[in-house]
Amino acid sequence: MRRARRLGRVLGSLLGLAVAAYILVPFLWVALSSIQPEKELFRVPPNWIPRVLTTDNYRFVFTGQFPAGYEETGIARGRISEKARDALPALRNSTIVAVTVAMANLILGTMAAYTFSRLRFPGAGPLYTFVLASRLLPPMAVAIPYYLIINRLGLLDRYAALILVHSVFTLPFSVWFLTLYFRRVPPDMEEAALVDGCTRPQALLRVVAPMTAPALAATAAFSFMFSYNDFPFALFVTSTIRSQTIPVIVANTAINPDVSFGVVAVTVVLTMLPPLAFAMIFRNYITRGLIAVTTTR
Amino acid sequence: MRAVVLPRRRYREARYAYATVLPVVLLVALFTIYPLLFAFVTSLREVVLYRPWSQPFVGLKNYLDVVRSEFFASAWVHTLTFVMGAVPLATVLGFAIAHLLNGRTRLAAWLNVTILLPWAIPTVISGIIWAWIFNSSYGAFNGALYSLGLINSYVPWLSRPRSALLCVLFAHVWKEVPLTSILYLAALQAIPDELYDAARVDGAGGLAILRRVTVPLLIPTTLIIVVYETMVGIVTFDLLYVMTGGGPAGATSLISYYLYNSMFVSYNFGQGAALAVLLAAALVVFILVYMRLLRSEEIYAT
Repeated sequence: MRRARRLGRVLGSLLGLAVAAYILVPFLWVALSSIQPEKELFRVPPNWIPRVLTTDNYRFVFTGQFPAGYEETGIARGRISEKARDALPALRNSTIVAVTVAMANLILGTMAAYTFSRLRFPGAGPLYTFVLASRLLPPMAVAIPYYLIINRLGLLDRYAALILVHSVFTLPFSVWFLTLYFRRVPPDMEEAALVDGCTRPQALLRVVAPMTAPALAATAAFSFMFSYNDFPFALFVTSTIRSQTIPVIVANTAINPDVSFGVVAVTVVLTMLPPLAFAMIFRNYITRGLIAVTTTR
Repeated sequence: MRAVVLPRRRYREARYAYATVLPVVLLVALFTIYPLLFAFVTSLREVVLYRPWSQPFVGLKNYLDVVRSEFFASAWVHTLTFVMGAVPLATVLGFAIAHLLNGRTRLAAWLNVTILLPWAIPTVISGIIWAWIFNSSYGAFNGALYSLGLINSYVPWLSRPRSALLCVLFAHVWKEVPLTSILYLAALQAIPDELYDAARVDGAGGLAILRRVTVPLLIPTTLIIVVYETMVGIVTFDLLYVMTGGGPAGATSLISYYLYNSMFVSYNFGQGAALAVLLAAALVVFILVYMRLLRSEEIYAT
């Protein structure tokens, strides 16, 4: 009996290590690739423990100085990898857009959700259902009409286009998630505040918001990450580095077979840093939010 | 006509309500109603890029063309193959990992921190990473098999129809497993300890507890995960864009990618719209089932 239990524990640990490897090895592999010269990466079989380390790939992305021994494969190849240098402006674009989307969700989403959860007004039910049901459209089915709307508004290849589209996608989730959350908060406190002469916005800002801070954090984290991670829409409504986001730049650089692997690895590492940091910091909120979003009606 | 007279306070409150709700509603309406109408109208006309001046009404021709096309059938076959692989894998792995996360070991605490990572990064980025791992000239997967002596030369995994779909599947499961394991973990933690104690008192061993207590109680969560993962599998696009581009020979051209292809590569907007309407209709069926499942089960009290 005891031996069986110990065997079980050992099996569990082995399984745990296998899972950890499955999850982490891809990250490690890219991180290691970004700090090795390209020749090392093409060794067969690969050096499982890197022998030569270099910061050349990073220096190329930040300063444009080609890694040593790089030009020998041709000029065309240099031009292809040059595109990877767009990673820095693209990171800036992504951050500006994602932060704005998160703010829009926090402001518009919170106000709407609070109203849906507390006030009764003609049409409340149908409007709420409409907002939620809007997410039933599969993304790929609305790509062309979205493009046409953005074009008509004269917003192609501008931040505003991405902010609009990402907000349209995240707001229904935020409204739904926050409405459910607000409903669970007992209204006694704000009613006292309202009686004392607070207006509704003041009650929301000073009484309800502090009590629901975890839900607000989850909302901000979710909308930031959706916007930052979105690929298809960013692909359709952007066309130049003026507004292209980091997933678009990295994807379009990486699918070119001639590109330098080490250089793209750098852009991949840079792309992953913000969402990974976010995921670590807001881990508990995100976990709770994920559960609520997938399992609440 | 009857004048509606609201008391002053009610009137002011209603005005506030609309002022806060309408920004969201109008924004969503613009990006929902127009696309819907557009898709329907376009799907009934012949709209091709090289003849933008004439868009004759063709009735259901686009739908018939789409349904009769062999690519449509094969795209669905690939999609269903993919979904039938991805859903059980993501579910079973999620179930197993949830048990690991639920433990009180140091490994479990550490896994809890890292499990979210694949979910957190952009899907295209995970696609790029996995495309490299399976790469035919420097991929880690080839390297590992070679080092272990299982293959004599590197294999172009992503250029062979069958293994290409498997590679995408592997990357997809990697991305989905964090979500399924967290959902299972939440469900596991919601099971009261008394049930386990009672089962143990009755002399049940580990396997019996798993079969008689845990699994039956996790059926609602499992149903939700299965339906949700089916929907996610059907709309898979990003991974295909960066890993295979729908190839080789259309072997990884799942339905969403096929839709993208007919719109942005072939520029046949009429057929694309018809395809979009069909895909939306198929998904609505799944979503209705999903909502029904959520309604019938109040499992979580978050």
